[in-house]
Amino acid sequence: MTNSLRGEVAIVGYGRTPYSRAKPGERILTVDQYIAGAAALALEKAGMSKRDFDGQGLGVSHAEASHTVNWSAAVAELLGISPRALIRGDQGGASASAMLIRAAAMIHAGIIDRALVVGADTPLSIPSIAPGLPLSPERTRGIFWEFQGPFGVMGANNQFGLVQTRYAHQYPLQREHLGKIAVTTRYHASLNPGAIYREPFTLEAYMNSRILSDPVRLLDCVPMVNGGLAYIVASAETAKTITDKPAYLLGCGEVSNYYSGSRTRPDITVTGFVQAAPEAFRMAGVQHHDIDVFEPYDDYPMIVLMQMEDYGFCKKGEGGKFVAERDLTFKGDFPISTDGGQLSGGQPGGAIGGFMPIVEAAAQLRGEAGPRQVKDASIAAVSGFGGIPYARNARSCITLILGSEK
Amino acid sequence: MAQMPQGKPLPEITDLTRPFWTAAKAGKLVMQKCGRCGTLDFLPKPWCIECGHLGLDWVEVKPQGTVYSHSTAYTVMMNDPAWKSDLPVVMCIIELDDGPRMYGQLTDCPPEKVRIGMRVQAHFEPISDAAAVPKFRPI
Repeated sequence: MTNSLRGEVAIVGYGRTPYSRAKPGERILTVDQYIAGAAALALEKAGMSKRDFDGQGLGVSHAEASHTVNWSAAVAELLGISPRALIRGDQGGASASAMLIRAAAMIHAGIIDRALVVGADTPLSIPSIAPGLPLSPERTRGIFWEFQGPFGVMGANNQFGLVQTRYAHQYPLQREHLGKIAVTTRYHASLNPGAIYREPFTLEAYMNSRILSDPVRLLDCVPMVNGGLAYIVASAETAKTITDKPAYLLGCGEVSNYYSGSRTRPDITVTGFVQAAPEAFRMAGVQHHDIDVFEPYDDYPMIVLMQMEDYGFCKKGEGGKFVAERDLTFKGDFPISTDGGQLSGGQPGGAIGGFMPIVEAAAQLRGEAGPRQVKDASIAAVSGFGGIPYARNARSCITLILGSEK
Repeated sequence: MAQMPQGKPLPEITDLTRPFWTAAKAGKLVMQKCGRCGTLDFLPKPWCIECGHLGLDWVEVKPQGTVYSHSTAYTVMMNDPAWKSDLPVVMCIIELDDGPRMYGQLTDCPPEKVRIGMRVQAHFEPISDAAAVPKFRPI
């Protein structure tokens, strides 16, 4: 029995809608419209039709704006598609990556030949406990809220601030290194018309930005947006008939609820990527120096740095040094977040941002990244990262290795 | 939605979690201990996260602990707006002497003075007839 999916499937199309900050006077699109919009873009890119997915796979990510718990089936109904396999993602920001793995496994098993995978959310336009803030019932009364909200935990910024403080206690960390990640990401966003914030800022501006939850500051945080994304994955054989530029899945690794050390006293400076990333590299048969472009899950610069370490690009505790020594731009020796990431691109709700690294990696491998194209990009590493458990780090960690050749 | 003092939302109390809130109201910190392997854990869980035993007992734990990490919130970004008047809120992960970790607000300590490794002790702030929230102060 083999657990390898290497080269079995490829991404043949993708789409990302324009994002919205739902400003007064703007036309507000619904989550359904974002789903259809993203799906239409992906189908157009692939030269395929929605009919190609009847009897095939449809993947749908959970969303705060979903009208029902049975959201994936509802989306099939909204889109008028009758899939054989309905693949549901509910792994937060790891949903998009998780669905790619499940679709690949089903394609490899011959149950389906291809899947249309979609995700959208409108966090700025749903009922909130505080108008103007994306505080949906799921976000404010979700599991474990009872021991967080009334205790005074101020959401994800507070939780990740706790991770960063602990990291800075155990290892050398200069905020300037995190700032370099943020500044580089914003520079990439300036080259991406789809990014919500495109105005470059200086390192000084990053260092002085408003404190939200010490040490997390404003320019450490993703802007919430309404939006949607999609990708199409097909068997390698079918992929070759659709496009001359398939982006193959070469490797994948996944773990959820990883404990670094004991279950009750884990080391929260280590994420499950220490397990997931080596699995993906092993399956792909690639080394760290083979990676031409890294698309991390960038909900915070601190988490990007931790991914660099936990992937093994550098040793634990040396992420700051690594960042300082490398050119992280698309022209440099370690390009990251070439679309502007979520930090500057926007996060379309807690789960949908996980599509962005996949979509950008596919664009890079296909030579479709325009002014931010990494020269000769042929192997990409992609992260899916979902949620933060109580008093810990990283609920779901997924590493994908994609490549332009099998 | 029922409200805490100053209008903050109350936690929903279930049969599983009630012992925690009742004990806190009485000024005690209790956590679940596995009847088979002795693992102590927090948040309230439906079975032992080590061995899967369904028989978990609520036992009193020592209210002392150490600051494992801290992050002072200057904004109420993902919580009820009623918390504004409490800002800044010094939030910690407290590592209790008896084992488990929990989120705990550090009171009686200015933000610039909190340090990882500080010794702290729980005190309890009533929020309703049925519940209190543990907070911590330096000792």
